[in-house]
Amino acid sequence: MKLTKINKDKSYHWYVLGRDPEKPQAIIDTNQYLVVTANKALIMDPGGIEIFSSMLAAVVKICPIEQVTHLFASHQDPDIISSLGLWDQALPNATLHSPWLWEGFIRHFGMSNISYSAIPDGGESIKIDGVQLTFIPAHYLHSSGNFNVYDEEAKILMSGDIGAALEPHDAPMYVEDFDSHCDKMRFFHQRWMPSNKAKSRWIERVSKLEIEQLCPQHGRIFRGDDVKRFLDWFDKLEVGLVED
Amino acid sequence: MEQLDREYQYFVGAAQVAASLEQANNIAKQLSITASNARAVALRAGQNAAGFKPLTDFIDQLANTTISSSKNINELANKLSRNSANKYRIDNAFNKFNGVLQSNNQAQFNQSLHQPISMIVKQQQALSFTHRSLLEKLSEELILLSDELRTAVVLATLSRVEASQADTDFQDTLYSVADNVEEAATKIKAHILSAIEHVNSIKLDRR
Ligand SMILES: [Fe+2]
Ligand SMILES: [Fe+2]
Repeated sequence: MKLTKINKDKSYHWYVLGRDPEKPQAIIDTNQYLVVTANKALIMDPGGIEIFSSMLAAVVKICPIEQVTHLFASHQDPDIISSLGLWDQALPNATLHSPWLWEGFIRHFGMSNISYSAIPDGGESIKIDGVQLTFIPAHYLHSSGNFNVYDEEAKILMSGDIGAALEPHDAPMYVEDFDSHCDKMRFFHQRWMPSNKAKSRWIERVSKLEIEQLCPQHGRIFRGDDVKRFLDWFDKLEVGLVED
Repeated sequence: MEQLDREYQYFVGAAQVAASLEQANNIAKQLSITASNARAVALRAGQNAAGFKPLTDFIDQLANTTISSSKNINELANKLSRNSANKYRIDNAFNKFNGVLQSNNQAQFNQSLHQPISMIVKQQQALSFTHRSLLEKLSEELILLSDELRTAVVLATLSRVEASQADTDFQDTLYSVADNVEEAATKIKAHILSAIEHVNSIKLDRR
């Protein structure tokens, strides 16, 4: 599992963990994100059962396991949070932040120690050792209960499945040529995202935020001008399409 | 992998025990119906089948004992199955955590995994203990029930004796009651024996 620090701040750290070479071929490649503060840590979209060992091995390269006090699951998908039953054994005192809508579903992955903090539909902010993180509503993109994580300080938006691209597992971490990258994103957004209306609302909402890096759960990170390029591209894209 | 296969065997084995008992229970319910039919016949036969009525009470009692005891055993088997499934999950967690601990020596905070691993080991021990005691209880209850069923043979024999002395009008019905009792008991016994076999195979596997 490759580990890359993505913010410049020295007092707390954002990492992206991904491109796991040990992952079985048939499984979609995922990016996991980790915020480590002075005494705590948050893992965002910790991933599926199949990559748990690689994730655990990567996390203890960065901090002691008991430092992980928070988990976040943007929605209920197996590639997002099916590892929960195993994290539950590692982090008996942690809190999982996830949409209220999915609580009864996500608990099916096994959760007897970790506590569930239900995010209301309008979103909310949490503070981890003074670092403020905001859960931004992104419902129906694609999941009906879905949030992004915004860090105003680092100007990072962890966008979950929005901005996802289907790529080989050894692809670079950052978008290098936006135009050619679009081909890898189109199908994902058209087929998995159900609502043009939800899409427009989300674009309107995040356009007000200052974003230097937009970090999806699959594919590559957008930085600088590519963030705006992505929002424009997504705005024009018609979603909810299927050939059947 | 062999470890996982063995755990898998446990909860499948327990589910099979539960399934056998479920079937035993269904047959016992039929037996109970047989008893109440027999009682109705005995009443109609009046003095012609005077000795038959108390027998039907015994048949009914046997049916009820079988029903309540197979219900108990079924609950035990379900507990065992759940316990085994939890054990399977926790063993899986142990393998993952331990695998990372062993192969990740260069990681700075690798040692921090000892704490969760020791918690996992404690759970493994607790689940193993529960597993063993549930298996013991299951064995005991199954053997008790199969002992209880010996009465059925006696009841069937006595029913036949009573039938032979009854009026010809009722003889056929009373003989068929005897046959029903015998047949039901044989079937129940077969299910219990298969349950005992499943329990023993789980026990053997444990060693
Ligand atoms: Fe998803
Ligand atoms: Fe996803």
